[in-house]
Amino acid sequence: MEAIKTMRHSVIENPCHACMPLGAILAFKGIQGAMVIIHGSQGCSTYMRRHISEHYNEPIDVASSSITEPGTIYGGSVHLKKGLDHLIQVYHPELIGILSTCLAETIGEDIARIAAEYTVERDMGAYPLVSVPTPGYGGGHSEGYFLAVRHIIARIARPVPKHHRINVIVPHLTPAEVREIKRIMDLMGVDYILCPDYSETLDSPFARPYQKIAGGGTSLQELAMMGGASATIEMSRCVETHLSPGRYLAGTFEVPLYNSPVPVGIEATDLFVNLLKELTGQPLPDVLQRERGRLLDGMIDSHKYNAEGRAVIFGDPDMVLAVSSICMENGIVPAVAASGVHSKALELEMQTLTAGRTDVATVTETDLAVIRDLAVKAEANIAIGHSDGRYLTEREGIPLVRLGFPIHDRVGGQRLVSVGYAGTMMLLDRITNCLLDSKLSAYRPRMLKKYYSEPSGKF
Amino acid sequence: MLNHNTLDEILNKYPAKEKRNRKKHILIKNITQENQEIEANTRTIPGIISSRGCAFAGCKGVVLGPLKDVVNIVHGPIGCGYYAWLTRRNKGVSKAPMKNFLPYCVSTDMQESDIVFGGEKKLARTIDEVVQIFQPQAITISATCPVGLIGDDIQAVARSAREKYGINVTAYSCEGYKGVSQSAGHHIANNGLTEHVIGAGDMEEAPQKYTVNILGEYNIGGDGWVIKKMLEELGYHIQAVMTGDGSFEELSNAHVAELNLVQCHRSINYIASMLEVKYGTPWLKINFIGIRSTVEALRSLALYFGERELIERTEDYITRELARIEPQLLPYRRICAGKTAFCYVGGSRGHHYQGLYEELGIETILAGYVFAHRDDYEGRQVIPNIKSDSDSKNIPDLHVAPDENRFRLKLSPERAAELKDKIALSTYAGMIQDMKDGSVIVDDLNHFETEELIRILKPDIFSSGIKDKYVVQKMGIPSKQLHNYDYSGPYAGFEGALNFARDVAMSFASPTWNYIEPPWAHRPLLEGTLVKGDMENA
Repeated sequence: MEAIKTMRHSVIENPCHACMPLGAILAFKGIQGAMVIIHGSQGCSTYMRRHISEHYNEPIDVASSSITEPGTIYGGSVHLKKGLDHLIQVYHPELIGILSTCLAETIGEDIARIAAEYTVERDMGAYPLVSVPTPGYGGGHSEGYFLAVRHIIARIARPVPKHHRINVIVPHLTPAEVREIKRIMDLMGVDYILCPDYSETLDSPFARPYQKIAGGGTSLQELAMMGGASATIEMSRCVETHLSPGRYLAGTFEVPLYNSPVPVGIEATDLFVNLLKELTGQPLPDVLQRERGRLLDGMIDSHKYNAEGRAVIFGDPDMVLAVSSICMENGIVPAVAASGVHSKALELEMQTLTAGRTDVATVTETDLAVIRDLAVKAEANIAIGHSDGRYLTEREGIPLVRLGFPIHDRVGGQRLVSVGYAGTMMLLDRITNCLLDSKLSAYRPRMLKKYYSEPSGKF
Repeated sequence: MLNHNTLDEILNKYPAKEKRNRKKHILIKNITQENQEIEANTRTIPGIISSRGCAFAGCKGVVLGPLKDVVNIVHGPIGCGYYAWLTRRNKGVSKAPMKNFLPYCVSTDMQESDIVFGGEKKLARTIDEVVQIFQPQAITISATCPVGLIGDDIQAVARSAREKYGINVTAYSCEGYKGVSQSAGHHIANNGLTEHVIGAGDMEEAPQKYTVNILGEYNIGGDGWVIKKMLEELGYHIQAVMTGDGSFEELSNAHVAELNLVQCHRSINYIASMLEVKYGTPWLKINFIGIRSTVEALRSLALYFGERELIERTEDYITRELARIEPQLLPYRRICAGKTAFCYVGGSRGHHYQGLYEELGIETILAGYVFAHRDDYEGRQVIPNIKSDSDSKNIPDLHVAPDENRFRLKLSPERAAELKDKIALSTYAGMIQDMKDGSVIVDDLNHFETEELIRILKPDIFSSGIKDKYVVQKMGIPSKQLHNYDYSGPYAGFEGALNFARDVAMSFASPTWNYIEPPWAHRPLLEGTLVKGDMENA
């Protein structure tokens, strides 16, 4: 395997990731009754709301402290405190996330101090204000996501007596995937606390009357209990130690941490359900056993088509790793695996996953222009990743299976399911069908040309 | 209808000071009152969820972004470049496909070390690479928040790149915290384009008769193409469109036009005014959204040039188009008649779409702008009375003087005076004058007020952008995005009106709504209590 270290030049041409606060917003959307205020110029919150709305097709209310030029000189704490006043008065949130921005961090705003001052000044006791430092230059959205989850837990979890529940930390999945993970755990009789649980908040059913803050999410009571859980399952192989919520729980409350990959693919799902079996002592229920059987059956049916696949995979590190493993399981070459953000973990995991292969390139901290070059060089015939990869189709004719975040040029990104045995089957079918589509739309003329028209004298 | 009591009930949710503030941004139109005043272009209240963006969005996102043969570099951390990447759906087609840079997002991706040690060198390297990769004729550099704070001198970097490569490189200090909304960014972009781009070309005279520019048309959903086609059919020559499907080449020669047509007054009126001073080019406020507005625009334009043949040709064209479009509109009108709309859009569409709605039989009962100024509501005559505050002072007014070689008086003072009675020459009357008695005008409408006003006024359709779209749809009301048109359009001109009618009627007629039970479905029609004794008698 070839790990491409630095493909980075000065210019980022067509980025493959967004910035930290966007990911942090998503994490807060998984907390019951939570609202977020971004401390900075109002453009940040407007741009992020716009992008998140476009993917989820849901209202995304995020406030801003709307710092203007004088605020950059005299400090923005007045703006932030006023913003908190208004947010509380109009929305009555149960918890408020305060995120910083490039602007706030550059002028040296200490949001944790402002939050502490605010609760004292307004005599708010233990009201949960959770501040997360998320300057745009501090990392990508996947890093902002984990950092926010870690800060939420650090703020709310308490030293409670040990109990039998299991903490489950999910990376940025789709709401439908979170529902699927919950279904699997319910089927196995697991008593869990899942965080952040945006399965309802970011994919809420039509109902009257309209709720200002969508129902659902991990409750404050559940968050408080996480310190006493019997184990934490963190579904991420790529999260860095200092961002990992599971590490925090292990370090502070000695909750044993199990790092499981995102359960996409038969191996990763096996690992996940085996872990649940081990932790709960429950057997694998028949329903899941049969889903596994169907997946295997489908993999056998599809392997001959998939053997022709050479994939270029890009997005958040955990998603890239998960998709690469599903490809490896069914004979698709993950020819290019790429993430916009730096991820040593992804490089190492890819090395293990593709050990012995020379036709796989992993690249992190890169942009879609580099990914495009690598894809062409690798003769990729399928792209798997978010909508910004449509450029690979437009420029190079590589068809795109949309997966991850953001999906803004198709509907249903929030409803895609690729986790568990059933979800894996759905993703694999989408990949196989994409390959079949390329094949069937062109194979007759291609064969005619290759085997009949062109070679002369043979017949 | 909204009255002052119900309005107070909504605003009572705010702290007293903010209530006073918001009250100045909301008007109920009263025809017996002259010169109703509204507050606009002032600071957003922190924590109130507004739809406003920032100066960077107005500069790079709105005005510079649509220039197709220009590489727009975003100098800053990755987010801003990423978020402004093709998000306005402006369309552009290039004669040289390799010189169409619209699909590209180019960012310097500043890291923490750049914030600490400065990003000028990285910016200069980025320009080197951009020149190497794309070989553009022009480059713009847009600053994001940290750039101004750490003191990167982007103007100096642009200057040295201009010298090094001999191409047009301009820098825009449009940091997000400047001004109070994207409006500041429009102004900054207008200044830069006027100073460094318009007039950079070597044309001295208009290439042909009836040469005009179209200002403030961003070709969302192809609107600009409809307008261009219509005007070209009538014999006009479009020198430059600012900036939808716009090119550096055309823009740099925009000084030769005989007239500037202004579609979006808010985002481009600075250029219009400056070109009038610098090159003697008058501007005409037109609106190509809606059938009557389009007719009026075409007539005003013909009247400006004043030649009989042109006026007759225009009238023939209008008669022909109306005869073609009107019958096709009928089925849609039947669906739309009697409905009501909210029309809350950026800085001009909140006004522009009201006429088109009316032509479909839909009354606009509430309208507003996200980032407009008082003159967009009340008309340009209020400009001298607008108090300048610290936020507006931060955006310098560019003082231009008549260009020594290229100033041409395009209109004699007598002719100008005569025309001003008949057409909207170098003026704009604003939104309020077109609204009906009792209708509501809201500046910087926020999410809380949106929900409350929908609850009270129960509009049949809500026109806005994606940030409110899903709130409205979750309330069971159709929405029509007027920022990106929900990927539909064009909506300009005669043809566009038909598209709009089809889209809006489809929103009302979709069978989907039949599956939503109205709130009263499970409530008994009659309510009463059983009085003891009734049962015994029965």
